[in-house]
Amino acid sequence: MKRIIDRALSRGAARAEVFYLNSLQTEVSYEAGRLKELANTEETGVALRLVKDGKLGFATTTKLTDLDRLVDDALETASCGDDMEFEFAVAGDLPDTRFFDKAVAELSVDEMMKHSEAGIAHLLDYEKKINAGSGTTREMQTIRLSNSDGVDAEFERTQYRFYVLGRLVEGTNMLDASAYFGGTALDVDFDRLYETAVDKFRRARTNADLATGPTTVILTPRAVADIMLTLNFGVSGAYIEQGISPLVGKLGERIFDERITIRDDGLRPGGYRSAPFDDEGVPMQTTTLVESGVLKSYLTDLRTARKLNHADTGNGLKAKRLIGTKELGKAPAPEITNWVMEGGEKSHEELLSKVGSGVLVDSIMGLLMSNLIAGEFCGNLAYGLKIENGKTTGRVKDAMISGNIYKLLKRNIVALSEDVELTGLLGGIGTHWYPYVVLRDVTIATKS
Amino acid sequence: MKSRIEQVMKRFADKCDYLEVHFEETEESRIGFNGPRLSDLGRRMDFGGNVRALHKGGWGFASFNSVDRLEEFAQYAVDQARTVGKETSRLAEVEPVVVDVPADLKSDPRNVSLEKKVEILRAYNERALDFGDGITSTVVTYFDRFRRFWFGNSEGSLIYQERGDIGGRVSPVATHDGDTQSYNVGFGGSDDFSVVKGLEAEIDEACEVALGKLDAPKIKGGEYTVILDPRLAGVFVHEAFGHLSEGDNVYEDENLQKVMKLGRRFGGSFLNVYDTGLDKGLRGHLVYDDEGVATEKTYLIREGELVGRLHSRETAGKMGEKPTGNARCFDYRFAPIPRMRNTCIAAGEATFDEMIAGIDYGVYCISASGGQTNGEMFTFTAANARMIRDGKPAEQVRDVTLTGNVFTTLENIDLLANDLATHDGGGGCGKAGQFPLPVTHGSPHVRIRNVVIGGE
Repeated sequence: MKRIIDRALSRGAARAEVFYLNSLQTEVSYEAGRLKELANTEETGVALRLVKDGKLGFATTTKLTDLDRLVDDALETASCGDDMEFEFAVAGDLPDTRFFDKAVAELSVDEMMKHSEAGIAHLLDYEKKINAGSGTTREMQTIRLSNSDGVDAEFERTQYRFYVLGRLVEGTNMLDASAYFGGTALDVDFDRLYETAVDKFRRARTNADLATGPTTVILTPRAVADIMLTLNFGVSGAYIEQGISPLVGKLGERIFDERITIRDDGLRPGGYRSAPFDDEGVPMQTTTLVESGVLKSYLTDLRTARKLNHADTGNGLKAKRLIGTKELGKAPAPEITNWVMEGGEKSHEELLSKVGSGVLVDSIMGLLMSNLIAGEFCGNLAYGLKIENGKTTGRVKDAMISGNIYKLLKRNIVALSEDVELTGLLGGIGTHWYPYVVLRDVTIATKS
Repeated sequence: MKSRIEQVMKRFADKCDYLEVHFEETEESRIGFNGPRLSDLGRRMDFGGNVRALHKGGWGFASFNSVDRLEEFAQYAVDQARTVGKETSRLAEVEPVVVDVPADLKSDPRNVSLEKKVEILRAYNERALDFGDGITSTVVTYFDRFRRFWFGNSEGSLIYQERGDIGGRVSPVATHDGDTQSYNVGFGGSDDFSVVKGLEAEIDEACEVALGKLDAPKIKGGEYTVILDPRLAGVFVHEAFGHLSEGDNVYEDENLQKVMKLGRRFGGSFLNVYDTGLDKGLRGHLVYDDEGVATEKTYLIREGELVGRLHSRETAGKMGEKPTGNARCFDYRFAPIPRMRNTCIAAGEATFDEMIAGIDYGVYCISASGGQTNGEMFTFTAANARMIRDGKPAEQVRDVTLTGNVFTTLENIDLLANDLATHDGGGGCGKAGQFPLPVTHGSPHVRIRNVVIGGE
C-alpha cells in the first residue's frame, strides 16, 4: 500500500489514500429441500483516492498485477475531477472494539449444513408441500486504510448471514415466508428462527378480504426497516447538502412523536456494519439521530461534514446501494451503519390483542420505486395479515399500503412494543433493531 | 487465458460430471453529478474468474481475484461438487462451441476522452439546473463498460466474447416547501456511445414533468382502468411475467409446475410475449450466454397461452425442455442463473386514440420508476401520470404505483396498440443479489382493466 501511495506522490499527487479489501466468503445453499451448492469467493482489491492540482481523483482495481494502471486511472480522473473540498483522515485513537468472532470464523461447512437441514425439516414437518430452502454466508474481511497524512490502520471482521425460507403454492396462491439472521457474531437462536418462519405460514394459509380505506396497522420490525428506508435517505449528509431532503434545516426540531428515539450505532456489538473506522479512516461511533422525536444529527462522511459544518459521524462507507454489501468500486459516501429504535412499554402480543381490527404488515414489495427522499412509501403487501378482535385471521393479498413517514411517525403513532428485534434491510443484508410500531389511519387500497 | 482454461480441463475434467471456467475483465468509467457538484468520477478495472463444477447433481463454485491460484480454486470447486452431489446431473445438451465474438461497436466510448464525457454530462446537468425556478437539484449518472469474457467447459466449448455496455440517466429534481419530485431521462445501449447524445429536448420535458408533479394531486387509491405507455408496459411485462418464466422458479417446485404448465391460458388470443437476445445495440443483446449457449428469441406467451420459459442448461435439462440461452451472471463472482434479456409484449392492432376513447374514468400511466415481483404479485411505478376523463387525458396526478397478480392482470389486458417500442435505461434487473444486470424491455401501449393503485 505504501508503494501505491509513493508512486502516486512521485507522479505529482499532493496526497493519496489507499483502501484495501480482502474477503473470503463461504456459502452453503439449499434449494427445494436439498443441498444445492457450496461456494467460495475470494476477493482482493484496492481503491485509490488522490489529490492533484487541488482536484480529487479516484480509481479501483482487482488486478493487483497492474498497479501502475491504477495510479494512471486515478491521475486521469483527477485531471477533470471535482475540487478537493476536504482533508483525508488524520491518525488518531480508534475505538477499542473487535468485530471478529472466532465462532463465525471457525464454523465448519458441516455445521452450516446442519443448521439449514434443521430449518428445512422444521418447515416440512409443518407442511410437506412447502418448497423449502436455506443457506449460510460466512465472510471474513481484512480492511486496511493508509494515507499520506499518516493513517495506517487495519481491522478484521467476520460477517455471518443465515436464512430459511419456503414457498407454498396452493392453486394460484403463492405464499412466501422466511426468517433471517445477520451479524458479526454467531449469536443466533436457531429454533426461534425456524419457528418464526413456520408461524408465518401458519397464520397466512387462508386469505381474508379487506375493504379500501384507512385502518390501524401493526408494522413488524421487518416492515419498520422497510419504511425507514425513507429516513435512511432523509438524514444522509449527501441529500442534506443537495437540499432535497425534507430534513434540511430541521436539526433541533421535533420531527416525530416524542416516543421515537433512533440511533445509528456503528459500534453495536454484533452489528453487520460495525467497525472501528469507516472506509475513510474516521472512527465509527454511536450517533443519536432522533431523541424523543427531536432531530439531533445527520450522517456524514469527511466531505459532507466539512461542507455542512457538521460533526463527522464516521459514516463514509463504500456500500452497494440498496443491497448493502461492500463495493470496492464505489467512492465512500454517507451510508447508514446499524439502526436501533427504542421500544415502548408493552409486548407486541399485548399490543396486537388491543387492536380491534386492522392489518399486521411484515413485508412490503416495490418500496424502492417510491419517492423515498420525500418520506413517501408505497408498495404491495407481500406479507400482510388481517386482524379481527385482536387476532390475525388470514392473509390480505393484492393490496397496496402507502403513506409518508414524516406524517405518520409524527401524528399517527398508537404504541411501540417493548420488544425490539433484529431485522435485515428489505428482509436481507444488514442488522437493524426495531420494535413493532402500531399506527392509526394508514391507507390500504384493495380490489374491494 | 484460453491455455489456462485448457490446463484446468486437462487436470480436473474427469473428476466430475461437468466443469467450466470463466474469466472476465471489465474496464469502467463513471461520471455522476448531484446538483452542481461532480460527485462521482471514477475508473474501475476488475479482473477475476470462477470455476464451477457439477457432480451427481451438486454444484461446487469458486470465484477469485487471485488468478495465479486458479488450480487451487478448481480443486475446491470439484471437491465441493463431490460433497454436494448425491443424485444425477442433468444438463440440457448443447453443441460445444469454439468461437471468438469480438465487440462490434458503432462508436466505442473508450475512444472518447474522460474530459469530453464529463463535458457532455456537465452540459446536461447545467441545462437542467438552469431550467428555471423550482428545479433545485439534479441526479446525473453515466457509465461505460468494456468487458472481455473467456469461457470454457469440459464438453469442449471455448469462447471469447467482448461486450459493451453504456447507460445512465439525467434526473432533474424539483423541490418546494419540503416536497421533492423528480423525473428521469434514462439512456443506454451496448454498442454506441451516441446514446448519450441529443437528450436536450427530453431533459427539458423532464424538468416540466418534475415541476408539474410538485403541484399535482396524489392519486386516490383504488381500482382503475389504465393505459400504460410502452416504457411502463415494458417494466410491467418484465415484472408480471418475465420473472415467473425464469426456469429456476419452477423447475423444482411441483405445485408451481402444475400452475405454470405449458398451454395454460394467461391472456386474450391477441397477447404475445417474448424474450430475445438477438437485438443488436440493446443492453439485453447477448450472443452466447454465460454457459456458452447461443441466445435466441424465446416466446413465453403465444396467442394468450404459455408456450415457453427462460432456461439455464440445468433448469431446461430437469424440465425436459430446450435451453434458451438465458443463463446470465452479474459478474464472475456469481454463478449464472436464468435471467431475462430483452422482454417484450408484441404489437397489437389498436391505436392509442381508440384505446383512450373507451375510458370514461381511468389513468394514463407514463414512463417507469421501476418494479418488483414475488412471483404471483408484482408492483410497478409510473414516473408520471394523467387522469383520463371522458375519453381524454386530463389533469396530472402523482405517486402512481400499480399492483397486479399474474393470474388475473394479464387476462385483464383488453387492448394492445400497434406502436411497439423498446427502451434502455441506465438501471438494470436485480435477482438473488445479482444487481444491476443489463436488460431491455419493450411494449406497445397497453390497456388493462381493474388495476389496483395505491394511495390515500
